[in-house]
Amino acid sequence: MLEIKNLTHTYPDGTEALKDVSFTVKDGEFLVVIGLSGSGKSTLLRCINRLIDPTSGTIIWNGSDATALKHNQLRTLRREIGMIFQHFNLVKRSNVITNVLAGRLGYVNPLASLLGQFPAADKKKAVAALERVGLTPQARKRADELSGGQQQRVGIARALMQDPKMILADEPVASLDPVLAHTILGYLEDLNKESGITVICSLHYLDLVQRYSTRVIGLRDGRLVYEGTREEIQGMTDSEFKEIYGEEAERINAGSISGGKVEADDE
Amino acid sequence: MSKNKINPGVAAAGSLILPGLGQILSGEFRRGITIIMAFGTSLALFLWRLSVVAHRETDWIGRLSKTTDLKTGFVIIAIIGFILVWILSILDALRLARQPSEKNITGPKGVPWLFAVILALFFTIGWQISEIDIRKLTREASEAWVPLSKVLWPWEAAVERITETNEAATTILADPEGTPPPAPIEEADKPYIDVNPRKGELSSIGDKNEILPGTLITITGRGFFPEQEVQIWWADAMGNEFRPRHDGAYVTTRSDSSGEFSLEMVMPYRLIPPSATGPHIHNVMARQINETGEVIASNPLKLTISLIIETIFMGMMATFFGIILAIPVSFLAAKNLMSGSRLSLSIYFFTRTIMNIVRSIEPLIWALIAVVWVGLGPFAGIVALTIHSVAALGKLYSEAIEGIDPGPIEAIQATGATKLQTIVYAVIPQMIPPFVSFTIYRWDINVRMSTVIGMVGGGGIGFLLMQYIRLLDYKSAGLAVWFIAITVSILDYVSSRIRERFT
Repeated sequence: MLEIKNLTHTYPDGTEALKDVSFTVKDGEFLVVIGLSGSGKSTLLRCINRLIDPTSGTIIWNGSDATALKHNQLRTLRREIGMIFQHFNLVKRSNVITNVLAGRLGYVNPLASLLGQFPAADKKKAVAALERVGLTPQARKRADELSGGQQQRVGIARALMQDPKMILADEPVASLDPVLAHTILGYLEDLNKESGITVICSLHYLDLVQRYSTRVIGLRDGRLVYEGTREEIQGMTDSEFKEIYGEEAERINAGSISGGKVEADDE
Repeated sequence: MSKNKINPGVAAAGSLILPGLGQILSGEFRRGITIIMAFGTSLALFLWRLSVVAHRETDWIGRLSKTTDLKTGFVIIAIIGFILVWILSILDALRLARQPSEKNITGPKGVPWLFAVILALFFTIGWQISEIDIRKLTREASEAWVPLSKVLWPWEAAVERITETNEAATTILADPEGTPPPAPIEEADKPYIDVNPRKGELSSIGDKNEILPGTLITITGRGFFPEQEVQIWWADAMGNEFRPRHDGAYVTTRSDSSGEFSLEMVMPYRLIPPSATGPHIHNVMARQINETGEVIASNPLKLTISLIIETIFMGMMATFFGIILAIPVSFLAAKNLMSGSRLSLSIYFFTRTIMNIVRSIEPLIWALIAVVWVGLGPFAGIVALTIHSVAALGKLYSEAIEGIDPGPIEAIQATGATKLQTIVYAVIPQMIPPFVSFTIYRWDINVRMSTVIGMVGGGGIGFLLMQYIRLLDYKSAGLAVWFIAITVSILDYVSSRIRERFT
């Protein structure tokens, strides 16, 4: 369970990215954060695992205050929360398996990991994670040789290595085409439904939101302006959607693709 | 702005007085200033050339006519250029003034012709200033061909044949009055020569510059290789050895079938002044040089190879020291690392400035300084190249650091990694490829630079090359040039192959 109370973040240049945001995420939810670029979605997600330190407010993660954690405790918090990114954030010149193994860094002996040594169990785990996202043949390739969709699947495999209780996904499909968007979100849905991992995901397109979310929050200029259940979202009209997004909102035209994993090779 | 309110005639008159003035009057201030400056600069340069070419003349008319005599083409083309600029600028001013202002939104047109002429004018003056003389390319080619062909194909100098010499010597007193030294004692199985008479007068130049030939002597020898050339050598009382000549040709003879010979020669010119005291006992030698047929590497080849090795290692050591010093410097010169506080930012600017200054000074000039600092030799070259490498690598490295993608760093942090783990897994993998690539590239440059750094005393092959050129030993110089070319091209290939792998 994640409780966010009065979360505020102001950047050093004075930009107020988050203003007094409060909400709660129950275990097993697929929470989608919607909002325009610059509305504070990324800042919000990064505050949860403290990649960004909030200016004020509290984040209660499973009963303990995440904002008060230091050093080792913070690392323990982070390793419980996997994260995937819009631009995948893989180490491009390292190979796929090394990128996946890096997800284990919060668990392993730091000294051994500096020399590139990982326990055999972790290596098996990495192979299994790659198999889960269907990238076993690509294991020895350099990350930048992979297509965008494949790279994001490596990102998911890396997050899986953390045995996460929660996954933060910062616009995971914004750099991908609609078909791939459904592939990636399908993986996240599987993790959410089968493994019970809580997912907090920021998305742009109403049909993806309606298809995958169990709950939605909307941000606008750093403020929480919308909160809705799955049922409410299903009935959401374009005009309501536009109220959160402003006039720039648009629907993705995914056509007949119904979601879930698309088994065809990416791109 | 009240553009184009002026009478076209006034604008034209303005540019008639001074090219560009009319443009200013019709509101095109920047264009006018540009024309005035371009015209003024080229006119000043032209006048300066007149005073350089006709430096003895005192007035401008004299200078102009003298220069016209000497460099007719230059003066004619330049004057035509000036007149053209003048006319075109008048026409331009006229058109600008006539143009309705609303057409000016797209900007004035018609500039290219005027500036093409100004550019042509500058090139004409530049041709004169840089003393370009195309005819020299062919006129001196035939003279250059001899040394050049030696440089192009120097390989005869790369080897030499082992020789054995068969030599005998005797003494002679270069004084017709004194007592001559005794004749040498003949030993069995060794060549033997003697002279007759055993004393005599050296040749000399008289008071009226007339030639006073020396005593005619007979040199007889036995025990030499049969049927072979015998060279006569002479050494004066101080031991200066030389080959005496007769009518311009070296004095030589051939041994007969029993290894004996006999020849007559006039005693050579004195090298030591007659006022010198002490017995003037000279040495006369007969020498047979026999090639055994065995081929060995010549001295220039050995020297060239050893100095090429020195050169490559100079480049390597300089690169090594360069890396060690450049890494800490590059962190200070990376903006993304140093933009934290005002102090760090000022360190960043300081480091960048120093690096830019150091980098803009050529390694050859650093070598001049290093030679004064640590003395002649390869170490001076290493110091010079290291200084330049630190600045050059520091800049490249710091740009590599600035180019690091923060995304992977964030991603690794999010896994719960420690700071050190984040550096090892997210920062270093991003830094190594550009670092390796830049370093290899620098090594390549350093070896290339160390081939010339010897010219100012910094060690390496450049020193040898310079020496051979000064001695007019073009074949040996050619060897050095060839080895430099071979080394540099191999290195070029290797370095580009390695760099390909790291991009």
